[in-house]
Amino acid sequence: MQVVRSRTLDPDNLGSLAGWLAGAVGARRVTFAEATLLTGGAVQENWRLVVDVEGGPREGRHAWVLRTDAVARLSLSLDRTAEFGVLKAAHAAGIAVAEPIARCSDPEIIGAPFLVQAFVPGVTQARRIVRDPALKDYGESLAERLGAELAKIHSITPPRDDLNFLPIPMLPPARNEVAKLRNALSSAAEPRPALEYVLAWLDAHAPDPEPITLVHGDYRTGNYIVNEGKLGAVLDWEFAHWGDRHEDIGWIMARCWRFGNDTLEAGGIGSREAFYRGYRSVAKLPLNEAVVPYWEIMAAARWATVAVLQGDRYRKGGENSIELALTGLMPPEMELDALDGIAALAASGDPRWR
Amino acid sequence: MAVKRIAAETLIELAVDTLRAEIYPTLPPEHRYTAAMIANALEIARREILADDDTARWRLLDELYPDGDGDMKRLALDIRSGKVNTNNKPDLHERLRAILVEELRVRNPRFLKSRESPGEVTD
Repeated sequence: MQVVRSRTLDPDNLGSLAGWLAGAVGARRVTFAEATLLTGGAVQENWRLVVDVEGGPREGRHAWVLRTDAVARLSLSLDRTAEFGVLKAAHAAGIAVAEPIARCSDPEIIGAPFLVQAFVPGVTQARRIVRDPALKDYGESLAERLGAELAKIHSITPPRDDLNFLPIPMLPPARNEVAKLRNALSSAAEPRPALEYVLAWLDAHAPDPEPITLVHGDYRTGNYIVNEGKLGAVLDWEFAHWGDRHEDIGWIMARCWRFGNDTLEAGGIGSREAFYRGYRSVAKLPLNEAVVPYWEIMAAARWATVAVLQGDRYRKGGENSIELALTGLMPPEMELDALDGIAALAASGDPRWR
Repeated sequence: MAVKRIAAETLIELAVDTLRAEIYPTLPPEHRYTAAMIANALEIARREILADDDTARWRLLDELYPDGDGDMKRLALDIRSGKVNTNNKPDLHERLRAILVEELRVRNPRFLKSRESPGEVTD
């Protein structure tokens, strides 16, 4: 049995990548001083490349990151070339992202489509961040900055020619998300009645439609870089889509993304109030706090669905990874949070949640 | 003298204890996450061997499907289509939660404890 999942990029065979990159950045020649697989990324591979560029506008030594699809891609995620388009739009809007450098849709170069970005130093591992003893000094300011950065993301609105590959939802955003999750679960190997119950509740209690904005789709601790207590870059744009801005807020506030720091509601790193303060300092559209708990339930449902799909990658024989198998056992955790969230809203007295 | 039976669950427990006490401290940091996942997987397997039957699950399925043909797939489909809902099964929410609690006793009892005692740190 193969325990370690197979890799797409072969660090000992980088000739075709070097040739392609040279063309992509207008260089005479590109050579690699280093290629290291970075930790994290159950869906895709991330490689740190130290690159020597000869000739062209990027002449010199650079640290870049190559991100590629893993063997199986989740149906909910964008491919690398689409993600690159979103990154370009975010970079142009002044959002803290690692500069997008090149994208390749030809699977022949390294075995899968990929994108290349600037390497940004710092920490991404959520558990290291939430357990950092210095978090007490910088957690609130980081939460505020994350709120402000998210509001910048939400300032990107359709129609946009450069983002025309992102479908405009035909249903109200919340109901559209439910439809996407139901669709993803339809072919899942393990039936989850509790998750279907949560989705039925979310569908029946969808909030009034809001203006559509760009939604990052995975805005949480673990998907941004922290460097000396400050935000380095927002990562992992593969779930970006047009939707309701409160979806991102519910996602980072959801209990399942606090990594055990339950009292620090904003991603396990700071207070909800600090995050909201930062968001409001930049946002063009108002933040409707009353609907955030709804989107926290959506977040639990979505993470449960992703966990089901990750488990399917093992169950259906594609990738024999212990991490995927264990993730496939996690849905009841998020389902329990979702059921308790529904019960709390039902008990709140607010008629919209009855 | 009583003779201990070396049962499957005992072997798994010994394997986890040995992994944690003797192997884990010798591992370089980059392999510790994998070792922790192996210990977690073994502990889930041990709890599954020791678990009682799925009482909450089967009780609900038997009530909803007296024909004896009920399973989780059928229940999931019936909830999605609206055939099973809180109007015709008013305690559906609580019954589904009971099934989750049963699953979590095997899959992640620490998580379950943290939801019963808010503030407890979980992985």
